[in-house]
Amino acid sequence: MSEAPSLGSTPRKRLSPSAENPETGRLDPSNLKPHQLALRQAMVEAFNAKKARKFLEKNVKHISTNRDLADGIKFLFDEQGRPPENMPLEDVIEERKKLEYQMRWFEGILLELRNRLVRVKELEDYALEMLSRAMPDR
Amino acid sequence: MAAPIFLLAPPRSYTSLVNAMLGQHPQAFGLPELCLFNVDTLIDLWRGSKTEISENGSLVRHGLLRTVAEIYGGEQRTSTINMAFAWCCAREQVNTGLVYHEIVDKIDPLVVVEKSPSYTMSVKRMQAAHRTFPDARFIHLVRHPVAQCKSLMAINDGAFCLKMEAFELRDDLAMIEPQIAWHDININILEFLDEVPPERRIRLRGEDVMAEPERCLAHIARWAGLRHDAEAVEAMMHPERSPFARFGPVNALFGNDPNFLAGPTFRPHKPKLPPLDKPVPWRQDGKGLYPEVISLAREFGYA
Repeated sequence: MSEAPSLGSTPRKRLSPSAENPETGRLDPSNLKPHQLALRQAMVEAFNAKKARKFLEKNVKHISTNRDLADGIKFLFDEQGRPPENMPLEDVIEERKKLEYQMRWFEGILLELRNRLVRVKELEDYALEMLSRAMPDR
Repeated sequence: MAAPIFLLAPPRSYTSLVNAMLGQHPQAFGLPELCLFNVDTLIDLWRGSKTEISENGSLVRHGLLRTVAEIYGGEQRTSTINMAFAWCCAREQVNTGLVYHEIVDKIDPLVVVEKSPSYTMSVKRMQAAHRTFPDARFIHLVRHPVAQCKSLMAINDGAFCLKMEAFELRDDLAMIEPQIAWHDININILEFLDEVPPERRIRLRGEDVMAEPERCLAHIARWAGLRHDAEAVEAMMHPERSPFARFGPVNALFGNDPNFLAGPTFRPHKPKLPPLDKPVPWRQDGKGLYPEVISLAREFGYA
C-alpha cells in the first residue's frame, strides 16, 4: 500500500490512438487519419454485428423451450438459489400490468395525434388552395 | 457533513467487493454506482449521449434510483423506485454535484463510500467529484493488468474497451486491446490524484485486500479516520449484508456488477499474479504487454 500515489513530474502519454476531447475529457477518434478512421469503424461495426448475432442466438434459444427461459433469468437468483429479495412476484406482475397500461395509453394518444394530424393537413391543403385561387398572378 | 470516500479504478478491479466491504464499516455507508459525475445535470443521465459508443441506457440510473429508494423510502421495492423516479424528476435541471450533496447530507453522519468506474474514463469527471467535495478521500485500487484485462474481455467481449477507444491500429486492421484501457484509465487516475493532497489519497492492490483483508481494511479505516478495531473490521468482512448487495426491484435491477450482485459473499483467497513478460491470452499473435503497461504495473508493485 502506498500513501501518496503520484504521476511524477513528467506526464505520461496515453496509449489510445484517439486524442482527448478538451471539452468532454473523453477520448475522441476524430483526430485519426481517414484510413485509420475507416479501420476503427470497421472494427466497431464487426463488434456490433457480433453482439447482435449473439443476442439473437441467445433469444431464439430462450424462446424455444420454457427451460431455457428459466435459464435466462437464473442469474438473478442468489448463491443458495433463492429468488431476489427485492423482487417479489407480485411486484413483477404489477410492473408488467403498469407497462401494458402505459402502452395502451401511448397507443391511444398516438392514434389521437394521427387523426388530428390528418385533419390539420386537410385544413392546411384547403387553406393553401384558397390562397392560390385568391392570388392567381403570384 | 462527512466527506465521501471514492474508489477509483478501472472496471473489473475488485471495486464492487471493496466498495461494499468499506461500506459495511459501522461509520460508513456504501452506495451502488451513482454515475452522477458523468453528467452536468440530472436530466442528462436520462438523455445520455448520442455517439455510436454511448454510455446511455437505463442501467446507469439503477444505482441512483436504488439509493434514493433505500435512503428516503427505507426499502427497495417497485413502489419506492417509482418514488425515486419522481424525486429525480423534481431535480432534473439540478446540477449533479448538488444532487450528490443532498444524498450525502441525508446519509450524514455516516461516510459515503462510492465507486463508479465510469468516473475514471475522464479526468474531468474525477475533478468534478473533487470540486463538489474538496475534502473527499480517494482510494486508487489497482489490479494486475493481465488478470484485469482477461476479466474485462470476458464481459460482453470487451465492450468497455470501445468506450475507452482502446484499440490497436495496424496497417490493415484495428483490434480491441484491453491493456490500453487498463493503462489509460490508470494514467487518468494518477493525473487526477496529483491535484489531491497526499494525505487524502492512497493506493491499494486489490489482490492484497483479497489475501489479507483484515490488515488492509484496518489500514484503510485508520487512514480514513474511522474506527479500526476488531468489531469494525469484522463488519467489513461481510459485504453481503449491504442493502445493495443483491439485485434490485424489477424496475431498477442493477446499479452494480451483476456477478457481484449474484454472489456478494467474500471469501479470502490469494489471487495468482501472472508474469508480466509472457504472451497475453486475449491476443492471437503471441504478443505480450506493452512496455508502458509493464512499467506502470511495476510501479504498482507487480513484478
